[in-house]
Amino acid sequence: MNNKIKVERAIHNLTQEQLANLVSVTRQTINAIELKKFVPSTVLALKICRVFNKSVDEVFSLESNE
Amino acid sequence: MKPLLLPNRLKNIGWILLLPSFVAGLVFIFFENKLPNTKINVFGFFGDAILSNKLEQLFRVSSVDLIPNLIGICFLIGGILVMFSKEKKEDECIIQLRLNSLQWSIFINYSLLLFCFLLVHGLAFLNVMVYNMFTIIVIYILRFQYLLFNHTIVKDEQ
Repeated sequence: MNNKIKVERAIHNLTQEQLANLVSVTRQTINAIELKKFVPSTVLALKICRVFNKSVDEVFSLESNE
Repeated sequence: MKPLLLPNRLKNIGWILLLPSFVAGLVFIFFENKLPNTKINVFGFFGDAILSNKLEQLFRVSSVDLIPNLIGICFLIGGILVMFSKEKKEDECIIQLRLNSLQWSIFINYSLLLFCFLLVHGLAFLNVMVYNMFTIIVIYILRFQYLLFNHTIVKDEQ
């Protein structure tokens, strides 16, 4: 699953640590999501989108083979 | 659904019990004959009475070796505390690592057991059963600590 978390973080001027604290996870988890090593749950995806004030499909999208 | 996990403070107690009992277990395996006799009388279930048709003696006071039992109890309590205590910040990514570690430990445990079924026979298999009681805990902890280490060491990209 693709995501634009890194781009959105840059737009909102947030570090991984700050975003992690806002959605109650560790910085390593945000890093793993950005690197596509971990697919977040629906709840976490919604929390992340709420921070960026975007809808889920604006931040997350399926890859062509999914 | 939240997983059933113990408070983080129990993890250190778990390590304190697990590591010495692991070392003591190894010492016991290699130097069993040189250790002093520590037999004590305890009340419990003694299955050997079934073989001799003395069913009234199933539950009785009998002499057992204290050291291996004590090591086993400490190892299991320590292992369970280490396995099931929360990390300082437990999130869904850590839960995923736990699941992966559990899958690995079950898979390797039963692969080893299958291997032993094919190659180990007779009374020697009793030893396999003894070690097999602890392999799930050992493999889970090794795998989980390895994954956790890799998870924690991330590129400092802010």
